[in-house]
Amino acid sequence: MRTFLILTVDGLTNGFIYALVALALVMIWRATRVINYAQGAMAMFTTYIALFLITHGVTYWLAFVITLGAGFALGSVTERVLVRPVEGRPALNMVILSLGLLIFLEALAPMLFGGQVKSFPAPFSRIDLTVGSTVLYVSPFDIFIVGAVLAVMLLLTLFFQRTTIGLSMRAAALRPEIARLLGVRVGNMLTIGWGLAAMLGALAGLLISPAIFLYPNNMDEVLVFGFIGAILGGLESPSGAVIGAVVVGLALSYVGGYIGSDLETIGGLVILIAVLMVRPQGLFARGQQRRA
Amino acid sequence: MNTLARHGLFFVAAAAVLVVVTYQVDEFTNYNIAGVAIFVIAAAGLTVLVGINGQLSLGHGALMAVGAYTTSLLLKAQPQTPLIATLLAAVITTGVAGAIIGVAAARLRGPYLAGATLALAVGLPQIATHFGSLFGGNQGLPVAPLSPPAFLGSDFSSNRWLAWVALLAALITLFLLANLVRSATGRRMRLVHDDETAARLAGIDVERTQVLAFIISAACAGLAGSLLAYQLGITSPTGFNLQLSLQLLSAIVIGGLGSLSGAVWGSILLVILPLKISDLAGNLNLSSDVANNLPLAVYGAVLVIAMLAFPRGIQGALLRIVGLARRAIRTIGPRPQASSPS
Amino acid sequence: MLEISDLTVAYGGVLALDHVSLTVPEASITAVLGANGAGKTTLVRTISGLVKPRSGHVLLDDRRLTGRAPESITRMGVAHVPEGHGIISELSVDENLRLGGLWRRDRADHRVAVEEAYELFPPLASRRAVAASSLSGGERQMLSIARALASRPTVLLLDEPSLGLAGMVLAQIMARLRALTAERKLAVLLIEQNARSALSVADEAVVLSMGTVVVRDRASRLAGDESLRHAYLGF
Repeated sequence: MRTFLILTVDGLTNGFIYALVALALVMIWRATRVINYAQGAMAMFTTYIALFLITHGVTYWLAFVITLGAGFALGSVTERVLVRPVEGRPALNMVILSLGLLIFLEALAPMLFGGQVKSFPAPFSRIDLTVGSTVLYVSPFDIFIVGAVLAVMLLLTLFFQRTTIGLSMRAAALRPEIARLLGVRVGNMLTIGWGLAAMLGALAGLLISPAIFLYPNNMDEVLVFGFIGAILGGLESPSGAVIGAVVVGLALSYVGGYIGSDLETIGGLVILIAVLMVRPQGLFARGQQRRA
Repeated sequence: MNTLARHGLFFVAAAAVLVVVTYQVDEFTNYNIAGVAIFVIAAAGLTVLVGINGQLSLGHGALMAVGAYTTSLLLKAQPQTPLIATLLAAVITTGVAGAIIGVAAARLRGPYLAGATLALAVGLPQIATHFGSLFGGNQGLPVAPLSPPAFLGSDFSSNRWLAWVALLAALITLFLLANLVRSATGRRMRLVHDDETAARLAGIDVERTQVLAFIISAACAGLAGSLLAYQLGITSPTGFNLQLSLQLLSAIVIGGLGSLSGAVWGSILLVILPLKISDLAGNLNLSSDVANNLPLAVYGAVLVIAMLAFPRGIQGALLRIVGLARRAIRTIGPRPQASSPS
Repeated sequence: MLEISDLTVAYGGVLALDHVSLTVPEASITAVLGANGAGKTTLVRTISGLVKPRSGHVLLDDRRLTGRAPESITRMGVAHVPEGHGIISELSVDENLRLGGLWRRDRADHRVAVEEAYELFPPLASRRAVAASSLSGGERQMLSIARALASRPTVLLLDEPSLGLAGMVLAQIMARLRALTAERKLAVLLIEQNARSALSVADEAVVLSMGTVVVRDRASRLAGDESLRHAYLGF
């Protein structure tokens, strides 16, 4: 029972972090029909920036905010400079471009910041809470993770559903040509979309690095798990992506705990294949196909 | 002369030229020639899958690992196993793995297929770590280097032998695939990629074509992985990580997707570029963090820039240059005879 | 005033528009008629910026439209109601309607314009929160026109608005269009296959055939000229 609780808490907190990456991937997919394979690497890079700031005297929370801003900047610049020119070309070009960016960032980070594994601070204690003599298997940082991700999701929902710019962005993603006829600056909307997605990734990096440490490839697996979560959800549905990612987090935790910690990724792959064989479009896909 | 004969002649000629070259260059270069040849095998197979058949795979590095581990385990159990047997075993095992993956992935398209193969790339090496006693864990399994056969003489360089074996394997692979691409099977694979609905209507078994493409590309990856084990002298999970899969895929796109020549260009770039950059880094006396990562940083940057500037890769750029040259020659060349006075 | 001068558009080797010139004054409706493939839709898509012409230009009150991005042209006061209504079915009726003119700085006036659009089309007003996908074809057409009007345009481009509408509803919408054109001094370009209904509200009429203007006349005269009607409009 104790193991189950620990694994469940682990699975949930990791799942919520994967959900950020899954959300980012779905946002970009819906807007530009592209999978940003560099999403994890971008998050790793912004986390290095955060560590740099913190080790040079900046307080954690200020570094936190600056890092999210850096994520937004990185994402929007990437869209404007790298993605926009490749727009009409064969899809595989964009795949290679984002893979190239992944490789580049994973090599640039150690060149700028050093390649050895570094520890990354958490803003709250990572020691499990105790009430009296009962251990709760949940730490303050765990609560922060779940809270932060839920808060971000709430803010995003409000942003997209309640603001004019959110409405413009949705229109630009759903029917870009029609949106242009309605005066929406579709290009700018895509840039902002990539910026927001990268911001989500930056947050994921900040939240997971305390546990898995900071090194150039640390977000590779997070990308894979977030991607699997997004695919399970069907790639068209943000809420599906979140649920898919949390399911992945839990499943991997149980596989790792009960079968073997090295087999997590293969376990995830097996689950993915199993689901896709039954529903090749993902669990929550409802035929919400985007038209031109 | 028919296609088969034409191809055969070309490859025999190429083999002759390459043999001569391997006598002219030093040990290190022969080692790298072998490296290029090994990549060509894997890249050519991947070209059939991705370029011709249109199925995206981010996991062929893992399939190379299957070939490498098959060979390494065989040699661990029976060190005297002849080369041809280890290579064949690797091809068959990886081909079977390719069949399994191909069947599982037959209904997946686009990003869904990419995600599944991405998970494979990251996850398969973990199996080697988990079953450490069998697969040698993180340290890996050692592989004795290839020793040249007795009839070549006792002072025949082992690197040259390695290059010969790899080049022969590469030429045979290219020969077989070049003929496959022009055959009815190759046309079926292309048709399924271009217009799946039309292919189905024409009675083509789409799933079988997809799986066949997977098997062929996997067999190539297995052969390449097996030879790579011999070249590196060790088979370990870190040698077959995600980077390898990504480098393979990027090589065929940057070389020119869909063409076997593109696979060759991409493989050459993939091996030569990091070498040159490492040399440069050494000459500039850079810190180890910078020097170790500069080759990859440059490779990544090259990929990005190539996709921005050369959407059809090296092969596409070369074709354009040839086309432009042809046109230039036509315009400045001798004029046809004038037929009537002005 | 919308001025189209010598507009030529080519798709590959085929000329979709061949030196077309046309003027649409304010407070008037110009009908553009002709068979399928005559170039009518290409004409409006070129005006609204979705298509780039090979040569020629379009001026709105002496300001150049050609060469600008579609979103910029829209922000200059050109509203294009595309063929097949162009409703975003995943959004609600209200969201669709508000998208017309969402860019405008004068938010208060935008809200007023949206309410006015609802008043013009009461069936929409009662179903604001409903997903646009559950509207009937005719209601979607209404929503599309309402959305265009909500941006307070000076130029209105309507591509086959009668598609999906019939009888009374069509007649009512056309009548309202007529009234609005005069009220708001709109310059309206009305593309139609349904020549009869178009000619009944238009001031001027132009017939396109294979990318060129073959007939240019007052709508009433064209409607009255039997031989012309038979030759080009099929009735």
